[in-house]
Amino acid sequence: MTLDRVVWSMLQEALAVYRDSPRATGWLRSHVERYTEPVRIAVAGRSRIGKSTVVNALIGDEFAPSSSFVWYRNGTEPRAHVFSGPGRPHEVQVGRRGSRHHVEIGQFDRADRVVVEWPSRSLRDIVLIDTPSEASPEQVLGDADALLYLMRHVQNDDLKFLQAANDHPIARVSNVHTVAVLARADEIGAGRIDALSSAKQIARRYRRDVAVQPLCQNVVSVAGLLAVAAKTLREDEFAALRALASLGREELEDHLLSADRFAGEQFPLPMEPAVRQALLERFGIFGVRLITALIRQGFDTQVKLTGQLVQRSGLGELRDSIAIHFTERREILKARSALLALDVLFRMEPRQNARKLMADLERVVASAHDFRELRLVAALQAGRTKLPAELQTEALRLIGAEGATPLARLGFEYEADPHEQREALLDALVRWQAIAADLHAPNDQRRAAQIVVRTCEGLLLPLS
Amino acid sequence: MAPPWLDVLDETIGACVTHRRPDLEARLREKRAQQLDPKLRVLVVGESKQGKSQLVNALLNAPVCAVGDDITTTVPTFVQHADTPSAALVRNASARGSIFHTPTERIAVPIEQVTKQVSTAHSQDVVRAEIGIPRALLDNGLVLIDTPGVGDTRSAHTASTFATLMQADAVLLVSDATGELTSAEMTLLKKVMEACPNVTVVVTKIDLVPSWRTVVERNKALLARAGVPAKLIPVSSALRLRAAKTGDQRLNTESGFPELLACVQRDIVASADLLARRAVAVVASSAITQLVTPLREELTAHDSSRTAETISTLQEAQRRVDELRRRSARWQNVLNDEMADLISDVEYDLRDRTRKILREVDKTYDEADPAIGWDKFEQWLEDNLNEAATTNFAWLMERAEWVAAKVAKNFPVYREDLIPGSVLPDDLLEPVGKLDKPKIEPFSIPQKLFTGLRGSYGGVLMFGLVTSLAGMPLINVISLGAGALFGGKSILDESDQRLKRRQAAAKAAAQRHVDDFFVKFSKDVRDAGRHIQRSLRNHFSTLAEEFQETLLESARSAKRAIQDDQTERERRLREGRKELDKLISLYKRVQALGGPVMELSA
Repeated sequence: MTLDRVVWSMLQEALAVYRDSPRATGWLRSHVERYTEPVRIAVAGRSRIGKSTVVNALIGDEFAPSSSFVWYRNGTEPRAHVFSGPGRPHEVQVGRRGSRHHVEIGQFDRADRVVVEWPSRSLRDIVLIDTPSEASPEQVLGDADALLYLMRHVQNDDLKFLQAANDHPIARVSNVHTVAVLARADEIGAGRIDALSSAKQIARRYRRDVAVQPLCQNVVSVAGLLAVAAKTLREDEFAALRALASLGREELEDHLLSADRFAGEQFPLPMEPAVRQALLERFGIFGVRLITALIRQGFDTQVKLTGQLVQRSGLGELRDSIAIHFTERREILKARSALLALDVLFRMEPRQNARKLMADLERVVASAHDFRELRLVAALQAGRTKLPAELQTEALRLIGAEGATPLARLGFEYEADPHEQREALLDALVRWQAIAADLHAPNDQRRAAQIVVRTCEGLLLPLS
Repeated sequence: MAPPWLDVLDETIGACVTHRRPDLEARLREKRAQQLDPKLRVLVVGESKQGKSQLVNALLNAPVCAVGDDITTTVPTFVQHADTPSAALVRNASARGSIFHTPTERIAVPIEQVTKQVSTAHSQDVVRAEIGIPRALLDNGLVLIDTPGVGDTRSAHTASTFATLMQADAVLLVSDATGELTSAEMTLLKKVMEACPNVTVVVTKIDLVPSWRTVVERNKALLARAGVPAKLIPVSSALRLRAAKTGDQRLNTESGFPELLACVQRDIVASADLLARRAVAVVASSAITQLVTPLREELTAHDSSRTAETISTLQEAQRRVDELRRRSARWQNVLNDEMADLISDVEYDLRDRTRKILREVDKTYDEADPAIGWDKFEQWLEDNLNEAATTNFAWLMERAEWVAAKVAKNFPVYREDLIPGSVLPDDLLEPVGKLDKPKIEPFSIPQKLFTGLRGSYGGVLMFGLVTSLAGMPLINVISLGAGALFGGKSILDESDQRLKRRQAAAKAAAQRHVDDFFVKFSKDVRDAGRHIQRSLRNHFSTLAEEFQETLLESARSAKRAIQDDQTERERRLREGRKELDKLISLYKRVQALGGPVMELSA
């Protein structure tokens, strides 16, 4: 039976055992519901780092930032509910303020969370949770299956947050799935045109940094404002930007030296200062510089420009990361959350007839192969388990550190046919079996090799 | 004429010497040398990627500090005036060591390469970079120090920043306009204020942020709320560098740098004396506070550490005397109980052994005739009794030693001679009297003859009378034959009875002897036991007395020590008060120099 099914039946069994306790039943029902939902991703980081901006960029719509937990999930029509204290949630209006959507939670000064249902293609596989910056790791991770952590440069405070997140008993089964995001990538290079590529380089350096690597699965850089702009660029804005680009390069550069100059009174074009101010607020001085440069380079239709912006802003890479590390692993992330929920339940309300379930929980956590893979990934990346360099890369790939699909695990860049996959797999299997049986290898190496062998065998099954 | 702050500083250094605080002294001396030095050090600090190096570059209009998108500044860079541009890396001559007090060596590098060298020099041994360029701003001894970002993951950077902080005359705290001051930056600011009170907050990158004015306003509010009297100047290094390239005066004004330069000139260069006074006041008062705190603690604490030590010695001694008393009751009990047990056990053992011997004797004389081999029997009995006595006695000795060991274990202290060498009385075993030989009557021939005749008489008469009826004479063959038979029978009977009597007599004799032996020997054993008990008791009580005397002596000496301490302490108290008064008056003078007002009461 797959992990997915095992955990599902455990949840059902627990519901039967605890049917007389209303609190436990409520808890379990919410988790049964959560189990079938898309992956919940919490977006966290320091204040003013751009959490809401990144959330907006991922949804592709602009929402005014809020000071409480805001959940965005897919829905057939725009709706919002406010959960405040015990009792039923209150439905509230989603209005518009300027270009942004705004959830009218005015009458609730202390909302526990706001749930926004929004029809969006990007929300089909994920639920996004925008968190307030003062929330503790426990609060952030309590409801989330995975974490997007935003930061500028990796500072000690950021590492502390991530360590605390992984310290928490919630992380016992396996590491919290985290993608670190260097947000505000546009500000990194003092707003130069090439800022984004150097931000990407910095992200690459952090990916190899020993302090950062064990704490997250990937580091990507994102220019939040630009990403939002790419998704929400309007006709009038595009027209204004095109008008700007029609100016001479030197002339425009002079006026793009500072935000003050750009929005100032003296401007060579008949363009209202308010319009320029609005452009600044939407795209930032860097965004205006980059977009005008791009238009001049020939990306002069809205479609072409949008494609360029998505790619350059790092939004595409962020989406890929979310797909590889979160949505493709939905089953295991959900299983992990459900097992933790069961663990909490058994601790809070221990029972005689739940003994079997508790034993099952222990067994699944200790022996489920998916968790063993995740633990090995963490151990290899943190250096607790050591393999020779080329073996380590291969092991990480095979156990799914770079993607959980068979193709990604086998390292095929293209759609290889089953026969080819089988060949590659058998080759890997034989080699890793040899390592697992090598009496002279250290114990941890052999154990790692055994896990890899088990992975290979699992992959072989559907191919034969 | 020496400035007034110099006297105060020297006096504070003197106080540090008297109070044996070489660390504070070194710090103050460093400050003193630095204040006498005409150079003015302006430190540029802030979190990483706020534009510190770019600010220095823009101030000087020269690319002297490494700037880049990733973390570039890894060591402090000192920029000062020189007639010709020059640069050098300073590295620790020894491979290991702290930033201070290690010999350093300077390596001259071309000025165009220094930025590259600094940003790539990840080797730990480069301590700082020194750059000299001809600039009017630096003409009057101003030194700009660019530092690695604080709060970076590579903590070595942060450490070197704080090390340089101690040498600063003024500090420019850099925070960019993309966000207001974070709590980490406020903490940093407060930390900086402790070491150097002349702080100016510079908000950089205002060209990037449309809403920088709100950020500046918020920062001002934050500073006011935290009670930090620091100036706040918004600048844009990019605009300044651009203005320098194009010679655009208006752009220069827009960059905010003229104001920053004026501020540096006015507040830092021109008022060097005020700065010196303020800096000295802060450092000296922090040093004095550190001196006063332990002094005051010593004065207020009721027992200084030495007294506490003597008191604890006394308490320990008394505790041990009590312990000894408690334990001696215990060992006496152990001794009494064990000896009572021992004696009863030994007695039982002895009775058991003698009874076994007696049983053996009974068995032997149920069959054997004591008349034959009495001597042999006597020997056997004697041997057996002797063996029983020796075994029993050996057992007694063994048990007695064990008792001594057990008592010793219950004794409060251990010593080599704790277990007595010998506890046995010398005149122990007196031999028991000889075994009385039982009276054995031998069955002699005449007695046999007489007994035979007496038995045959009845037989002859009986059968003679019967046969006379048949006409035979009274004495005939038949009657004579019967007489012989009867005679033989009575001789046999008689001898059997005599054997029984002899056996009973022998058994009684043996019994008597064994009883004698038992009574005598059990008395001896009992005596020996009592003797052992008495000698053990004497031994151990002598030891206990010795111990008690030792302990009491140490308690007495501790008591004396406490009394001595009392007078010593009073003397120290008086001295301490005087010292404290002196320090407080010194502190007041330091305060008069114009430092921040801190409360320090007696």
